[in-house]
Amino acid sequence: MAAPVLERPPARPGGRARRRPDARRRDHLIGALLVAPALAYFLVFLLYPALSALSYSFTDWNLRTEAAWVGLANYAGLLFDDVKYPHFWKSVGVTLQYTLIAVPLTLVTALAQALLLNAVRRGANVFRLLLFLPVVTAEAAVGAIWRWLYDPQYGLINTLLGLVGIPGQNWLNTPELVIPALAFIAAWQCGISMIIYLAGLKGIPGSVQEAAIIDGAGPWQRFRRVTFPMLRPTTFYLLVTGVIAALQVFGLVYVIFSGNGRSVTGGPEQSGLTYVLHLYLFAFRYDAMGAACAMSFILLVFIVIVTALQFRFVKQEAA
Amino acid sequence: MRRISVYVALVLLAAVSVVPFLWMLATSFKRGQDIYTTVPSLLPLDRKTGEWAGTLDNYAYVLDVGGLGGAFVNSVWVCAVLVPAKLLIDALAAYAFARIPFPGRDKLFVIMLGGMMVPAITLLVPRIHVTQSLGMFDSGWGLIVPNIASVLDIFLLRQFFLSIPKELEEAALIDGAGRLRIFWRVVLPLSKPVLAVVTITSFLFHWNDLVWPLLVTNDPGLHTLPLALQQLVASPDGGRAYYVMAGAALAVLPVIAVLLVFQRRILRGIAFTGLKG
Repeated sequence: MAAPVLERPPARPGGRARRRPDARRRDHLIGALLVAPALAYFLVFLLYPALSALSYSFTDWNLRTEAAWVGLANYAGLLFDDVKYPHFWKSVGVTLQYTLIAVPLTLVTALAQALLLNAVRRGANVFRLLLFLPVVTAEAAVGAIWRWLYDPQYGLINTLLGLVGIPGQNWLNTPELVIPALAFIAAWQCGISMIIYLAGLKGIPGSVQEAAIIDGAGPWQRFRRVTFPMLRPTTFYLLVTGVIAALQVFGLVYVIFSGNGRSVTGGPEQSGLTYVLHLYLFAFRYDAMGAACAMSFILLVFIVIVTALQFRFVKQEAA
Repeated sequence: MRRISVYVALVLLAAVSVVPFLWMLATSFKRGQDIYTTVPSLLPLDRKTGEWAGTLDNYAYVLDVGGLGGAFVNSVWVCAVLVPAKLLIDALAAYAFARIPFPGRDKLFVIMLGGMMVPAITLLVPRIHVTQSLGMFDSGWGLIVPNIASVLDIFLLRQFFLSIPKELEEAALIDGAGRLRIFWRVVLPLSKPVLAVVTITSFLFHWNDLVWPLLVTNDPGLHTLPLALQQLVASPDGGRAYYVMAGAALAVLPVIAVLLVFQRRILRGIAFTGLKG
């Protein structure tokens, strides 16, 4: 979400004076009534949970017992005690690796798709629709479909690789291949980024491209010197939102590693144990809600830092 | 020449995008023994003789034994109640934030927008706790009430309402029409595009949502379609791809139908809003 611009509606000339005091009082009442349900939702399901998550992160707590205050013990334990929390740093590593592969791969794929779509007229709508299909698909279905595609024996991917003489892989059971396999699924679902890039491309005035053509710039030069620089705000927006989403990847991994008791460990040798999957296990398998809340705030702080760094980097580039 | 290479690239990318769905459909119509072959076929053919061997048995099995029939009905129910209720609550609040002056209005709006910045994951555990405290855990209410408003949707609707010329409403006000009447008779009919976008994205989100039903329900009778599909994957039948793909098709096909019907609105809406939340 881009930073919202809150324009205050301009004062209407004479409008206020024309409304009588009792009409104004009635406005106050109606306004409050219309906002009330949304406000109640906000207080009960957003503000209160956010504040209580913070306070629970300082406690030892599960849903059945009273929370016991333990100060910073959850935070200290997660960060430094690799006996009590042996997989914390592993899950951090898995998530960072996933983010570093999935986000660039998604953006490059989306940009390529958008450039190609922007270059054709006939059939562009059909192609755009087909490229968008993976986005509207439930992650449970995505996980189910790709488990079958990645199947080591009869999966379509290994079958097709076999036809061109490349030996098949046990994609989801080989620790080194798990993250690339997941990142490929993320790139397969790049449709939203593609649509947003496409909107960005449409926003580049044709005259700019024409000027570059007159100056004798080839297609690659036009892309490097004109198109890509003009898409910078779009790329930046997609990068920031993409990183935030990738750091929280959960549902897909949960489905991919469902069954055979594997969801408990998150893939072979925890190679698919993403941060939020780990958080989920703490909260709902190991009954450690306090530690789970602490994990969620460590992630929150991390997201804020990473986002701030990206903003800073962009500012420096621009300067 | 260049144009041809662009089309070739597009066809290849579109194939990568679509073949997984075709493969899902093909597998869902095949008999168990016919999927275990290294000669890929998009048609349900007998593995040995190559004759037509399509079947609907997999669908019958997952709908009945796999529990996806009940889950399908649950998903329809949840969306049928949740999506309109959420739209109403969000639109009423958005209209007040856009047009009806009351003390503290703009401050309140900014505070609510701030709530959007908190990652969903942070809220997950305490939200379950709140749901439990309200006695809604493992109930139909628990699937609906904790999702019944969206700050993002309020923001989008408010932006649209602000863009409607004020004169239209003021003329009605001077004629003595009440605020609610103006909202219903003047504002909503002018807002069909944004209402459509918010409705469709909200349907897609809740139809597809796995995480909230996973956390808030235990009773298999309350499972929604994505959750029932995940349970099927986790069950001993999870290794039987012909069942799992029939289940996946049940989750995917309604959504593809919605996409085909509303593609213009969805794609245009995405460019402004993104899809999630």
